[in-house]
Amino acid sequence: MAVNKLAPVNASVKAGAPAAAVVPKIRIDRARKTFVQKNGGAVEAIRELTFDVAANDYVAIVGPTGAGKSVLFDCLLGLKTLDSGRIEIDGQPIANYIGARSGRITRIFQEDRLLPWLSATDNVALGLQIRGVPEKERRDIARRWLADVGLHEFVDALPSELSGGMRQRTNIARAFATAPEIILLDEAFSALDEITAMKLRSDFLTLAHHQKMTFVMVTHSIDEAIFLGNRILVFGAPARVVHEIAVPPGAAEDRVVADRIRDEIRTWISASGRDASRTVNSELENE
Amino acid sequence: MANPPSASSGNARLRQTSLWLFKSILPFAALAALWQFATLFFPAFLFPDLLHIVRDVGQIFTSWDMLSAALVTWGRLIFAVAVSLVIGIPIGLAMGLSRGIDDFVRPIVKFIMGVPALNWVIIVVIWFGSVELRISFVLVMLCVPITVFCVYDGVRAIDRKLTDMVLSFGASRLQHVRLLLWPYVKASAFTATKLNVGNAIRTVIVAELVGAPSGIGRELDMAKNLFDMPMVLAWTLVMVTMGFIMSFGIEQAERVVLRWRGGSHGRE
Repeated sequence: MAVNKLAPVNASVKAGAPAAAVVPKIRIDRARKTFVQKNGGAVEAIRELTFDVAANDYVAIVGPTGAGKSVLFDCLLGLKTLDSGRIEIDGQPIANYIGARSGRITRIFQEDRLLPWLSATDNVALGLQIRGVPEKERRDIARRWLADVGLHEFVDALPSELSGGMRQRTNIARAFATAPEIILLDEAFSALDEITAMKLRSDFLTLAHHQKMTFVMVTHSIDEAIFLGNRILVFGAPARVVHEIAVPPGAAEDRVVADRIRDEIRTWISASGRDASRTVNSELENE
Repeated sequence: MANPPSASSGNARLRQTSLWLFKSILPFAALAALWQFATLFFPAFLFPDLLHIVRDVGQIFTSWDMLSAALVTWGRLIFAVAVSLVIGIPIGLAMGLSRGIDDFVRPIVKFIMGVPALNWVIIVVIWFGSVELRISFVLVMLCVPITVFCVYDGVRAIDRKLTDMVLSFGASRLQHVRLLLWPYVKASAFTATKLNVGNAIRTVIVAELVGAPSGIGRELDMAKNLFDMPMVLAWTLVMVTMGFIMSFGIEQAERVVLRWRGGSHGRE
């Protein structure tokens, strides 16, 4: 695997995350979303969900499987609409934001989701192509981002010619290439082996810091949430915030602080519901 | 550093090629031997000598009248397969994208698919005066449903996660089709084309037999009237070869266009 030229991230990067702005970058206000099943039954995915994300904030969401976290991301991208409540970005309703600033909010998925017929360069350039950036310009940008994630020797490789870690780096480069203001990480590192995941988390954090980005991540790994987030939101099922934890700088390296946060998360997940805790506790045991 | 190719590796490649050639020819050689053996026991108008058939094949390729008949039939095949792609791809794509269109169009396409080729031939004789229109119509009616269902299946098989990814970058409906669906549609179109070539070759003669003034069908009709079995078999060989050439061309194009798909699972 190619060596990344980026310096490893440390606690000082997260410590530099600025304070909340007056108008939050993201505001979710009493959001509700329910799905009607084919048999007529209803599944509540989001219930009275309310929270703000400040500009340059790094928010980690932990919670049980099926807690509607991915549905929330779909709503943030304008792919699904809420039944009630509001989502605002920079004070604008989400529909206006998506329409006016396509590509400014992107998502990094658990699987790389690269298009198999496109080279690494063209995959990274995809978001720019959708935004109508001219071919030469978008390919130059894509190559620069591939170099930034350590794949400068693989610019012409097809996804089938790349390892899992390389494909996920390409996925990350694709998200950053559109110069987004907000990145949504949907269990972005969970499909990787731990060594690769650690390196990529560190690289991601460095990139997010350099690009002055806001990100919201969904993860089942509490350690990942502590490492990447400066705030952790504990979700119950259906999606709602049951607890919020501020992560102090350097928490990932401080065993006492990290253990306190872990215990706090476990306690709140247990309190948020028996079914939910069963799912998450089994995941915690696997960690 | 890679070693230069040695003489032994060259010999190995030659052996491999020879073996492949031998394996490819063996079934046909066995069939020819069986035929030649049969000529010993049956009259020549039923099982003519192989040499006689080969001589007639040579005649087809050296006589412009006969060769042009083969080219006319070939042209009709290519035209029908191409038109079926032009008609079938948008229909299959629309069915794959819209449940409403799928519900409405599917029964019609299935109905057309269920009509036997010979029935189409009779229908077009009554409907159309133009021979070319008759033949093209029959072949297109035969090929379009196959194209439609191949493209439909291709679109339906696309991973929903890739669609979510493309849409999450803000892709419009048109960009979704162009950037994500079209590459899969191309793969399906190749499958449809291969199937259609086989079907069209089997049907084109039936269509040509009904009053076409040119083409292999007419030549076969004349050979039948003269009880010229070697010529019937020579034309049959030409038709089969035509199919092989078209399939080979399609496969080569597929390898270039769909390079990203690589080899089959579990095979070199």
